[in-house]
Amino acid sequence: MLDRVRRDVERNALRARNGIKLVAGVDRPGVGLTPKDVVWERGRTQLWHYRSDRVRYSPPLLIVFSLVSRSYILDLTPGNSFIEQLLDAGFDVYMVDWGEPDERDAENRLEDYVDDYIPAAIDRVREISGADEVNVFGYCFGGDLCLLHAAHHPDAPVRSLTVLATPVDFTRMGPMSDVFRGGLEVDDVVDEDGNVPPRVVVQGFKTLTPTAEVTRYVTLWERLWSDEYVSAYQAMTGWSDDHIPFPGAAARETVQMLVRDNGFVTDRLTVGGDRVHLSDIRLPFLTVRADRDHIVPPEATAPLIDLVGSEDKHELRLAAGHMGLVVGKTAARTTVPEIIGFLRQRSEESAPARAAGQEG
Amino acid sequence: MTQPGTPMWRQAFDAAERRVTPHAENLVRTPGFTTGVTLLRRAQNLARDTARDVSARAWHLVNLPAGSDLARLRAQIGALDREVRRLTVQLENERRARAATDPTQEETDADGAHPTGGARPRPPRRRTQRPPGA
Repeated sequence: MLDRVRRDVERNALRARNGIKLVAGVDRPGVGLTPKDVVWERGRTQLWHYRSDRVRYSPPLLIVFSLVSRSYILDLTPGNSFIEQLLDAGFDVYMVDWGEPDERDAENRLEDYVDDYIPAAIDRVREISGADEVNVFGYCFGGDLCLLHAAHHPDAPVRSLTVLATPVDFTRMGPMSDVFRGGLEVDDVVDEDGNVPPRVVVQGFKTLTPTAEVTRYVTLWERLWSDEYVSAYQAMTGWSDDHIPFPGAAARETVQMLVRDNGFVTDRLTVGGDRVHLSDIRLPFLTVRADRDHIVPPEATAPLIDLVGSEDKHELRLAAGHMGLVVGKTAARTTVPEIIGFLRQRSEESAPARAAGQEG
Repeated sequence: MTQPGTPMWRQAFDAAERRVTPHAENLVRTPGFTTGVTLLRRAQNLARDTARDVSARAWHLVNLPAGSDLARLRAQIGALDREVRRLTVQLENERRARAATDPTQEETDADGAHPTGGARPRPPRRRTQRPPGA
């Protein structure tokens, strides 16, 4: 009994200390810290090359991130970083980060990313690495961009395509897509700068799990005494509340082509005026979906494996959530080794190790 | 499943949450919710646009530009910026492609002048998958 009282007193003291730290916003964990160089940029878009002296595999890996969230989720904190694990495994890793769109990006259409930026990033990676091809990896909506790119450019120098938590059946995306299918227009939610503001994106995600916000605070109160929990909470909730604007024209195109027409499933996709078909994708292909994903429900990703035309195609289903695919201990034990295994089979081991990065 | 050692208050919260969550998740997936969100958003926009129109008229009365005028200008500059950016990226891609196929090509082009009266070189053709509707 005495021990329990003592423990509760200690925990309440720690709760008070951590609570003050949270409210004051001090002692936040550093995110996206893996050393990298900007090797190409245009507008707000940057291509990052992660430094590594352990590169053992070729071709290099190009990660294409989502348009609506911040890319540091893949490099959350030291020791809990998907990027770090890829580097440790011996890959030469690059990432396309779309930056924070402003009014200059309001007219950006999907073709800007699919026909201009992704090919430019692939060319720059090949130029730096000297490789003939790259392995491409798309995360969430970045996976959709990669699918459109692969379908529109089947002769692009891409050796394999991996997509993670990538929705294709937008009728199964829940309330976020229902409101646009039910009559809401993108123009009803765009801001003065012509983009869909981050608060609308965050609110859209929160609507998917309406009680999660309350549960989050209750769990935080319960475990506020734990420094480790508070640190992880700050990093994770910092990311989930910290979205970026969705360029207006790309949002309009997404709503019309992908949400209302459900273009991936109904084969009604157009990029830059050309009809494209997922069945034209013939690359070695891996799709990873999470069974407990509340942002991209597994039913929204399920049809993808049957839509692509590749003969060498695989689907990996994991009992994880959207972020749990790349963050945390489960990801480190399950998802990441599976992805690394797939990529290793589509790579050559090159000896001796070549240092990556510091291109200047 | 409640873990051993979980405080009573947390057990009570979890029990309540388990009961409420399915109803809340069903609610946000009803047509009524969709209609409600749409109507609320449109009402907010109507109020905002009305206030903005009044404010714009006031500024125009004293021959000054309103925020909406500046927003329009910024949108036009943004569209122009996008065009320039796309052209730059396409030019870069084209240069790289030409340099990869023929390393001497770029220099030859740089030195050579196109005849002033002649037709401008055609832009590179975009590779399509198959004809529309095929």
